[in-house]
Amino acid sequence: MSAPFEEHELLPRPLHDERARQQFVGAFRGHLASRLMPGNYAVYRARVEPGFEREHGRKPADRHEVRAAMQREPSYQFWSAMQRRSQELMWESVIDPTERLLPELVARAKRLARRAGRTARGSLALDPGCVVPRYHTAADIHLQPGGYHTEFTDDDVAAGAVYDRALNIYSAGGTGPRNEVLGELLLNYCRERYPELQPARLLDMGCAIGNSTLPWARAYPDCEVHAIDVAAPQLRYAHARARALGVGVHFSQQNAERTSFPDGHFDVVVSHIMLHETSRSALANILRECLRLLRPGGLMLHLEIPRGRTPLEKFLYNWETWNNNETFAGYMTDADLAALAQDAGFAPDRVEFVDHVVRRSREQRLYSEEPYWKILVARR
Amino acid sequence: MARRAPPKKSSPAKRAPGKPGKAAKSAAPRSARPAKPRLAAAPTAPVRIARVSKGKKPQYFSDPAIDKLLWISLTLMEELSVTRDRLDTVERLLDSRRVLRTSDIEGYTPTEAAARERSDRRTAYVDRVLRAAQAELEEITGRDMPASEADVIAAVEA
Repeated sequence: MSAPFEEHELLPRPLHDERARQQFVGAFRGHLASRLMPGNYAVYRARVEPGFEREHGRKPADRHEVRAAMQREPSYQFWSAMQRRSQELMWESVIDPTERLLPELVARAKRLARRAGRTARGSLALDPGCVVPRYHTAADIHLQPGGYHTEFTDDDVAAGAVYDRALNIYSAGGTGPRNEVLGELLLNYCRERYPELQPARLLDMGCAIGNSTLPWARAYPDCEVHAIDVAAPQLRYAHARARALGVGVHFSQQNAERTSFPDGHFDVVVSHIMLHETSRSALANILRECLRLLRPGGLMLHLEIPRGRTPLEKFLYNWETWNNNETFAGYMTDADLAALAQDAGFAPDRVEFVDHVVRRSREQRLYSEEPYWKILVARR
Repeated sequence: MARRAPPKKSSPAKRAPGKPGKAAKSAAPRSARPAKPRLAAAPTAPVRIARVSKGKKPQYFSDPAIDKLLWISLTLMEELSVTRDRLDTVERLLDSRRVLRTSDIEGYTPTEAAARERSDRRTAYVDRVLRAAQAELEEITGRDMPASEADVIAAVEA
């Protein structure tokens, strides 16, 4: 079992039944992940692949052929429909208490933003002129109603509050008591590989609620840590949340494709599973922007979700593409990120796209037997 | 459902709810300080957060009705789990405090007020379980879940 989720000042406290709903969703998703998802592998080996071979005289060549065959399989249909509904139930279970407490949450966030003294480091700069890009507005990513960016009231923090609690449920506690596991994972990789590194300025792109930003700010207390996102309700929440947890981060509303920071401003630029939530043109722009923002010798680290190794794994990882509004993940499956970084101007011998293996429990494994992460590493 | 309590101090003489018409404005005596619109004077509707995500909805089964039925039964499954948790909490608390026995529960009849609260909760419950159907209606009408049958007909006909 993972450590219990930490109830910080800004998280909406669910009532008895609201909590019971969230706990049901946790149990339901745990069951889907540990008991039913592996059935996809079993049914593929036992029925789908042999059936395809009988018909075509060969095995499915890619994830698209696997998909066409699996979608006809009743057990897959049923798992898939339930997986989708579990995601919707998850959001509903978190939205209820957030909506009930929203005026109080907005007030609390404002109070924290105004707070003075030792915990009041960091800042928040919102830009009403910041255009939320189409890859956010066309479909609500992860099915979160309203996506990251929609504001339901003045000074809204709802989307951030919803995301914070839902992340804990989605990952079955796998993102840790403060949802910081991804930040820690990339930070640990960075510290092991570059123990000498002492950045003076660091940028986290697509920070959402800043959950992955905070480990960096704690690890390098003398570093000026910046975090950007296009979604105002996330940033308001992130700023107040960082204050509630006593960590100083400078949050600003900016698109990572073109920021307002000067050339060579940062020693390190990072992102945590952000690239696959953009678009083909945005991805190229972001990599170019990273190059521009890094000082010579500066380090770029992008954590990404693995996309599978076999056609079946690739198909299952892309469940989110078709069913969870991760619309750009399909392109990412076949994209060579190292080559794209080179296209953006990074020197070929200074770019790597590495597999990073970490341990996860069965409930925390979503689509593969051996979980691992991908990291795009480049130095300017 | 969060409902904001009506304002304690009502001042109908000073400010009627909504914007006063031009005639009303000219008829009213001019006060020395023009009154600012006060947010607290009129009950504000609670903020609603969207419950349905934007994007293409996949169809999982040959008949879309099966998708909806699964949606509904999974929600029922959730609600039953919630109810059992709540009952479990109540029964354990009662037992630990030696307050009542199971036979007390069997013999209980709700008061009028209790019955009304129960009814409100039941309505909210039906709303939650049948959201699959409401979501479709929302997409057609582009409006929030209509409250009454007349609203539904008006929304569809509009």
